[in-house]
This record gives sequence, structure tokens and C-alpha cells, in this order.
Amino acid sequence: MKEVLVIGSGIAGLSCAIRCAENNVRVILVSPQPSERAQSVMAAGGINAVTMQCDECDSVSSHIEDTLRGGSWIAGKNAVTGLCSQAQDIIKYLEHIGTVFSIDSQGQPRRRAFGGQSHKRTYFCGSSTGKQIVSALVMEARRFEAAGLITRKLHTHFHSALIKDGMCYGVLLFDELKRTLTPFYASAVVMATGGQNALFGKTTGSILCDGYAAGRLFMQGALLKNLEFIQFHPTTLETDQKRMLITEAARGEGGRLFYEEGGRRVYFMEDKFGANGNLMTRDIVSREIYATNREVFLDVSFLGDRLIAERLQEVCDLCLKYRGIDICTQPIPVAPSVHFFMGGLAVHLNHETNIERLYAVGECASMYHGANRLGGNSLLAALYGGVVAADDLCQRTAPPHCPSFAQFIAHEERHLAAHLDSKSLFPVTYIRDMLADTMHDCMGIVRTEEGLTEGIDAVEYYQSIAEHLRYDSSVSMYANYSLTGILATAHASLSCALARNESRGAHYRDDAPQSKDGYAYATLVSYDDGAYRTWLDKEQAYES
Amino acid sequence: MRVRILRQESPTTEPYWESFDYDGPKDTSVAALLDNLNFHDDLVNDAGQKTQRVTWECSCLQGACGGCAMVINGMPALACDTFLQDLQGDEIVLQPLSKFPTIRDLVVDRASIQDNLKQSGIFIGSYQPAKNESFALQYDAAKCLKCGLCLEICPNYTNGINFFGAVFANDCYLVHARNRQKSRNIKKTYAQHFGNACSKSLSCMDVCPMHISTIASMAKLNR
Repeated sequence: MKEVLVIGSGIAGLSCAIRCAENNVRVILVSPQPSERAQSVMAAGGINAVTMQCDECDSVSSHIEDTLRGGSWIAGKNAVTGLCSQAQDIIKYLEHIGTVFSIDSQGQPRRRAFGGQSHKRTYFCGSSTGKQIVSALVMEARRFEAAGLITRKLHTHFHSALIKDGMCYGVLLFDELKRTLTPFYASAVVMATGGQNALFGKTTGSILCDGYAAGRLFMQGALLKNLEFIQFHPTTLETDQKRMLITEAARGEGGRLFYEEGGRRVYFMEDKFGANGNLMTRDIVSREIYATNREVFLDVSFLGDRLIAERLQEVCDLCLKYRGIDICTQPIPVAPSVHFFMGGLAVHLNHETNIERLYAVGECASMYHGANRLGGNSLLAALYGGVVAADDLCQRTAPPHCPSFAQFIAHEERHLAAHLDSKSLFPVTYIRDMLADTMHDCMGIVRTEEGLTEGIDAVEYYQSIAEHLRYDSSVSMYANYSLTGILATAHASLSCALARNESRGAHYRDDAPQSKDGYAYATLVSYDDGAYRTWLDKEQAYES
Repeated sequence: MRVRILRQESPTTEPYWESFDYDGPKDTSVAALLDNLNFHDDLVNDAGQKTQRVTWECSCLQGACGGCAMVINGMPALACDTFLQDLQGDEIVLQPLSKFPTIRDLVVDRASIQDNLKQSGIFIGSYQPAKNESFALQYDAAKCLKCGLCLEICPNYTNGINFFGAVFANDCYLVHARNRQKSRNIKKTYAQHFGNACSKSLSCMDVCPMHISTIASMAKLNR
């Protein structure tokens, strides 16, 4: 019987694992913590689908058009067509496995309007859509766990892939309890490890998503794509440890952005874009907030206690709990923050990378979203991508024979041991903090050639010392060894942003503020013994 | 402010207490306090001795994932959801959840929660809703973090071998409400591993970070 390794147990990983199990393929589902801790549970908004219940004038082709336009025309048309065409079936599937959707008086799932879309097609579960979907998928996965088709492996981290001659035969996993590296061989490996939050330190997402796996695979020959496209959410609240998301619904309900000047409020979005200025797309609002170069506030107090309690209770609770701000009487200090990564591992339509039998799904893969993601499309892409990868890999036969990786494994074991013996005074966490500062400074909302070049210089310096740092034995081993992969992802991201000498979607270059026809393609980046090479995918080798 | 932490190096070593002086901000969470302690070049205890960084578990840092569940001043709570200014006294005492095996410091192995649900066949399978079930209750039940706080406080839950606690009861309710075909069997399983042994202290509801009304789940399943 075939056996598949799925690395990551959020929505994309669960979707893939369940589909494999439905096809009678055995799955080992690897994650450091259970699915309830995955970043997927933090997705609030909803999931897009055109169904029979939607407005008569809505259509799948309209969803496709909105997605391609939102992505500034560089997402693969065939990929997006598949995604949008299957969305109705995905909603049906989620209903079937018992997802608690918000329903209308007839018991039908309700829809809400979302930014960047021509029709109301975003299905939702109150304000915790991701969590409700995770709960339903966890129950469904449990069914297959009980049947022996899915086996969870917790407290375990991805270390590296076992690749030879362009084919993946399995992975090396690090067991944090035993503190050992163990090889696992499989007929296919599916990466579902999320976005690259750790590059930026504080983001709106989970600290478990760090970009290590993509970076390590990149160093082992996998191509990365579109890393310059990073979505900033315009309204987040600073707290000690992270940036808390203030939902777009706060502006949807009428919330107004302003800064203070000479004792009066300046409603800069309304001044520039008119009455609906506060509801411009995320990238525009983020750039406008950045351009004010002042402390910006979001005011909802005028909505009144009752409406706030009815529609924005979670914003109210969050502000009061983490900052002591009563939004019924006080404005919320907000600033843009990193929220979603459109870039990641380059994958073909079947979600396979350029390494045979190595797949990527969810946010760690670059697919469907082009230069900017529509709200409500990430949950859809995570579920759909998992299914597509599973259906493809289940049809494949097992590899003919597995070569020996003994030499590679021994080398990696020696490498880890050597770090534990390092006499360096500097622990790994120092560099991670410095990297976050560099990325914020050089790869933020507004970029320049000069800034990006400085960023690459800084990251090259971190890379030059990373191999000599002290591994702190009192933090997890993963927190130590993950640094080199994270730095590679950071270097690749800066390289992509430097190469794209134009502005498009979420990528804004102050020194090239317009889009250029010659750049209407995805960016690919490869690694060859320390050299980072970028090029435009003019042949549309990926995602199309 | 003094911080006392019950520490343990590995699953097989003995736990021990270690104290730290904390002079960071007070208007912050216990999770931020732990980060603050760990961020120093070298962590030094209140006797001036260099010591190992404190291990704890987290993911979302905003009360949505349940990773950082621990015992704070004697009460089970999420570290990211508990604030220093709300705690009494000048000392904060942190302990790992006691009803699960300790892995290291404040990190425990909560696999028994999932194992019990798996072995009892708690899954919906196919959506065939029961009549007259409250949407709000199902929505809340599905928000369970599987954090283990309800089990830590429960006077009836010891090691999860026979009695599975509120986390189990709420998942049972979800299956009952969303697949009427399984309702009868699920009620039996519920009675066997929860209903027959729950003494209804309802302390589980006091500590649930999602405010799940376990008593409402019980009322539905006891019918």
C-alpha cells in the first residue's frame, strides 16, 4: 500500500490527508502541534464560491475574472479556473462533513460581500470561519485515523527532504522529544507548512509559520515563485508580542481612518478617494497609511454601543483585552502589518514542484493569487489545493527503488552536533530579531532599489555568520536549525523584489511606481550553491 | 515582581521550583512575561544563577489556539489571555497542566484528548441535522480549542482512562446535533465516558476560554 507524508496539519494539510485516505492511501500527518494550533484557525472572514444560491447575475467566470484581476493578471488562468469551478463542490463537501456555517431562516448557508469582488459570494461561519472548518476537518480526519489510514506524528519538525536526481523519496524529520533525526520514506511528500511570517517577526499570523521548509527545499533545488508579493493588512493593532488584526468589517460597518493635525482630525482616505475611501483595497489603504508618516486611528465609536455590540463585539473585546481601549469611546491606533504571502514554492497545476513527487499546498505554495489575494480565496485555495495534490499523487505508482541516503543523513547529524558544540557567544534568536528589522525596513509596503540592495547585503552578512552561531540547548532544536532556511527564504524574497522593477499588486516600488507590460509574468528564483538567480516565467511553466 | 515556575527538564526527571525577578511591564500578558524572561542574553534566577530558558508552547498569541494552557496562580488559564494586572499579589506562580504528562517545563503532552475522541468514534461522518438544535450552541461547541483547561479544573477527571471530561461532552453534542443517525449511539458513548460520572461542579465552564456552555450540551445529551 502506498504511503504519503503530509507535512503540516492546517486546512491544506488536512484536506490533502483526508482525500488521500478516501482513496485508500495511507498518510503520515506530521506537525509540531495538533491542528487546533494551526494558523488556519485564525482565518475569520469566509470562503468564496459561486453556487446555485448566489445572485442570478453571478457566475463562475465572474469569480475567475475577479480573482485574476485582483492578482494583477499574473495568476495562472487554468489554475484559477479550476479553483473557482470546484468552489461549489467544496462548499457542499464542507457542509457534508458538518461544518457549522452561518445559515439563513431556510437553513441555507449565508453569504457576505467581500472586498474586490463583483458579487456577494463569501460563505462564512460567524467570525471564525477558519476555526469552524478546522473543527469539521479534524473530526473527518479522526474517522480515518480510527481506521488506520491517517497517522498523526506530533512534536515533530520537518528538517530536509531526501532528494536525488530531481526526485523526492521522503524527508528527514526532527523529533523534539528524542532530539533525533529520523528518515521517513514515502511515495510522495506534500508540504503544507504555511507562510513565511518569521521573516518579519511580528505579523498577524501564527509563530509556527516561519518559511523554513520553503527555504530549506529551495536550497535543495526546489524553485520559489512570486516572493515579492506580500499582502499587508492596513488595520492592525500593536501589542507586546504580535500585531492583532482589526477586521475589515470595522470599516465595512462605517469605521473611519484619520490622523490628527493641529488639534483636528484629518480623514485622509475620504479626502483623497471620496465617501467610500476607507474601503479601498488593502494595498491602497496600507500605502496611504504609510504615506501619512503619522499615527493613524480607526474610529468606530460613532456607531454606538448597540451596533458595536451586535456587529463588532470581537474587535471590542480584543482592543479592551490587549490594549485597554474602549472602542465605544476611543479611536483604535492602527498600522499596516504583514498578513499573507502570495509567494512560495513554485508548483504546477497538479501542485507538484519542480522536484518529482514533492508537492506543496496552502500558503507555502505560490498558486491562484497572483500579485494580490482576494479575501475569501485563501481558505478555498487551501482546501482545493489539498484535493488536487491528493488526486494526482494517488494515481502515481511507488518509485522504482530508493537510493541510499546514509551519507546525507550522517552529514546532517554531524552538522547539528557541531552547532551544539559551538563556542560562539551569539544565540540564533539574535539573528532572527535582526532579520525581522531588516525585512521591515527594506521589504515593507514601499520599496526601492537602494533599500532592497541594502537588505540583501544585511541578509548575506547574517548568512555568513549563521553557520557559526551557538545553538541554545534550552530552546527547541528546531528554533536553532531553522535559521539557515529562513535566511534563504528572506534572501530569495529580497532578490525577487529587486528584480521586479515595477509596481504590481502588493509589490510597490517607489522608484518604479507604474506597472510595465514586460513584467506581466510570475517571478521565479533558484538557488545554486549560494547564488540566487531570478527570471520571469514567460513560458508560463508553472501554474498554467 | 517574583515569578515562581515549576520546571522539569524532561519527561523522566523530577520537577523543581525556580524563581525569577521580573521588572518588565505590568500591563501585559503572562505569555509576554515569559517571552520577556527568555529574551535576556542569559536567564538568571533570583539566586543570581544562570539557568535554562523556560520552555512553553504557543502559536496564535491571541487566545484562539489553546497552545499556551497552563496553571497560573492555581487557576488553569491561557497565558496569552491572562494579564498581570488582573492577578492578585506580587508573586506569579506558573505550573504545567497537572493532568497530562510533562514534556518539559510548561509543555505537556495532551495527546490523550484526541486519543479518547478517536477511540470512541466521535466524528460526524455525514451531515444530517437533528431537528430543533440551537445553531449558537453548535457554533460554540465547534470552537473548542482542545486546550485541556476544562480537564485540569474538573474534580472528576484524573487521567482520561474512563472519564473523558467536558471536551469530550461538547464534541459528542456536536455529533448528536449534526448527524441524527448517530444520535442514539453517541448518547450511549457520552453516558459511558461522561454523563454517568460527572458530578456537575461545572467548573469546566468557568475556565473555558471559548465560554462553551457544557451544561447546555449535557442537557441535550441527557434527554
